[in-house]
Amino acid sequence: MSAAPCPAVDVSGLRVRFGSVEAVAGIDLRVAPGTATALLGRNGAGKSTTMRVLAGVVPPTEGRVLVAGHDVRTETLAVRHETGYCPDVGGLVPRATPWEHLQLSARLRRMPAGWQDRARELLDRFELGGARNRVTAGFSHGMGRRMSVVLAAFHRPPVLLLDEPFDGVDPLGVEATLEVVADARAAGAAVLVSTHLRELAVEACQQAVVLRGGAAVARTSAADLAGEDGAGAYRALLD
Amino acid sequence: MRSWTDLGSLLAFRAAGLRGRARRVVPGALALLACLTVAAAVVPAHLPEQSLGRADARAALPSLLLSLLVVAVLSAAASGGGRELLPHEQGVAFPVGATTDHLGALLLAPLNIAWLLQAWAALAATSYVAGPGGHLLAAVAVPTAWLLAATACAQAVGWAVEWVRRGPRGVLAVRLAGLLAAAGAVALLVTGTLADVLRAAPTEAVARAADAGAHGRWGPWALTTATLLALAVAAVAVGARLAGRVARRPAREELRAETAVRPARPDPASDLLALLRTDRAGIWRSVPMRRGAFVLAVLPGLVALGGSFGWDSLGVLPALVASGGALLFGVNAWCLDGRGALWRESLPVSPALTFVSRAVVLGEVLLGSSVLTLVLASLRAGVPTASQAVAVLCAMVVVVVQVVATALTWSVRHPSAVHLRSARATPAPPLVMVGYSARLAVATTFTGLTFDLAGGLSWVWPLLLAAPYLLWSGLKLRRTARAWAAPVTRARVVVTVAS
Repeated sequence: MSAAPCPAVDVSGLRVRFGSVEAVAGIDLRVAPGTATALLGRNGAGKSTTMRVLAGVVPPTEGRVLVAGHDVRTETLAVRHETGYCPDVGGLVPRATPWEHLQLSARLRRMPAGWQDRARELLDRFELGGARNRVTAGFSHGMGRRMSVVLAAFHRPPVLLLDEPFDGVDPLGVEATLEVVADARAAGAAVLVSTHLRELAVEACQQAVVLRGGAAVARTSAADLAGEDGAGAYRALLD
Repeated sequence: MRSWTDLGSLLAFRAAGLRGRARRVVPGALALLACLTVAAAVVPAHLPEQSLGRADARAALPSLLLSLLVVAVLSAAASGGGRELLPHEQGVAFPVGATTDHLGALLLAPLNIAWLLQAWAALAATSYVAGPGGHLLAAVAVPTAWLLAATACAQAVGWAVEWVRRGPRGVLAVRLAGLLAAAGAVALLVTGTLADVLRAAPTEAVARAADAGAHGRWGPWALTTATLLALAVAAVAVGARLAGRVARRPAREELRAETAVRPARPDPASDLLALLRTDRAGIWRSVPMRRGAFVLAVLPGLVALGGSFGWDSLGVLPALVASGGALLFGVNAWCLDGRGALWRESLPVSPALTFVSRAVVLGEVLLGSSVLTLVLASLRAGVPTASQAVAVLCAMVVVVVQVVATALTWSVRHPSAVHLRSARATPAPPLVMVGYSARLAVATTFTGLTFDLAGGLSWVWPLLLAAPYLLWSGLKLRRTARAWAAPVTRARVVVTVAS
């Protein structure tokens, strides 16, 4: 009998407080390599804060958070090397071009020579090739979201964190994002997708965790949330 | 009438947005400004005659009044028509009309340290000239009416300049007009005809009306005061029409910058160079910041050039330029990343290196502007002694390091979510900017003056003087870098500027 694979994301008792506000109130979460998990829940449920902690952007107030085997509190830089993060808001430096974003990322992530081919391939897949040298301040919301997914997936991270990647994105962009998630899983990465779009979460992921008031209220197979029955079950979990 | 009501609603909205300490500080700061204004108008009248006599103050009054107009026009024109009461990004959801926007910009115009200093100087000079035996209230009513008229006219000029700038070949037209105006001012100063022009300026009539009020000659006093008030009302109305015209024209230069194509450059050779490249793009690809840095570098230099400043008084110039430069973005330096701050923070790079990069780009802007100013000012300053040259160079380096240290400390302590897309935006709320600018101006002017004094001694003294200043600023920078390295602090800054 083989042992269960070590989770790429291993969170227990995560709490995050901003002053008197508790944004995350004790979440436990495990995501195995090669799987995709959806984080679902209403606004303010703690999805984005959890993603920010996993990306090493916001430190946890309490709890143990291991990402690719590294503790986010003590090995933050190692965690950032192992993750690719698409933030929920913006995500692009306003006066830099997509190519300059990619150059910065490649440099700081020590990507080997030849990264340009991967960059071009991703930009073309998300139909951003023609805009690669355009300042991103003039991008539409959807273009910005697509570019954020490109930046998150660019270095083939073992842990891919996509926060609202489908928000305002056209069908072709959604398709490209689903492909990126599938490719990452096939390459053995653990993927976390935070979204309000239940049907897309079901399509992209195998597991789903529903958050409410900063805590996980359900862990289920994503397939259980599909269709009308799934919609009803999900709706019931939100109140 | 509707616009006035909307203005009240916007003010109430801004007031309701004050949280925690700001809720206590803002009323106190406004009360302090009001008290200082009343003190400037009342106290000098009761002072005994100083070495600067009442006749000298009277002679300077027209120039002071004219300076206020120049400051108000430059502020309104450089800020694309004036400051926003409600940032554009927040205001899109509300039907805020151009007239309301104009009234808001007028209301915010005095929240500018240069405007306040000129206004206080004009009121104080009038009060001092009136003396204890005159009708003080009547005397200061005249410069007060002038403040209203000059500010309203300047606002209208600001909108007119912005309207031209947004038109076909507008940027070129405004640049040419600016160059001509600067050349004209320099010509007046160089040919020594400035005094004649000042004597013929309408502000002399304003000063005479203040005299008339002080001595109870009510006819000329009433006529001038009423004329100024009527001019203010007319300028407010004209400004509202112009604001409407501006609102109907797209901001071409900003839109062009936001959609510009920038050919790819070779890959950066080091982490620091990669960070510097991104940070520099945030500054030099921004129309308002480019324009602000240019104005800051050139204007003081031209004034010094025309005024034939000697090397013994050039040390104060970098102080003024550096403190002004920090107000472009430096006091909220992390806002350059805007909504990309979260992504940048997720990159595997040490916080110390990102801090160094931000300090370097801020220092570059301040140093570059200061050098340009000094080059212009030195053209007619003659040949300096070794001691004067060392003093001016030390002053420049010291104030730049001093301002970088202070600005980054504020950036880490009090971040704001601002996008600085428009020239009308400020890196911090307007009242906070007054506090920042006053504190920077006082500290750096003091530093500049100490180096001017040290320039009169041996060349060793400026170097010795620079050492403790640099040590102090270095320690401050190190303390701020440590604060930035703390994950909780950095998360607060990043989440705030990205929101």
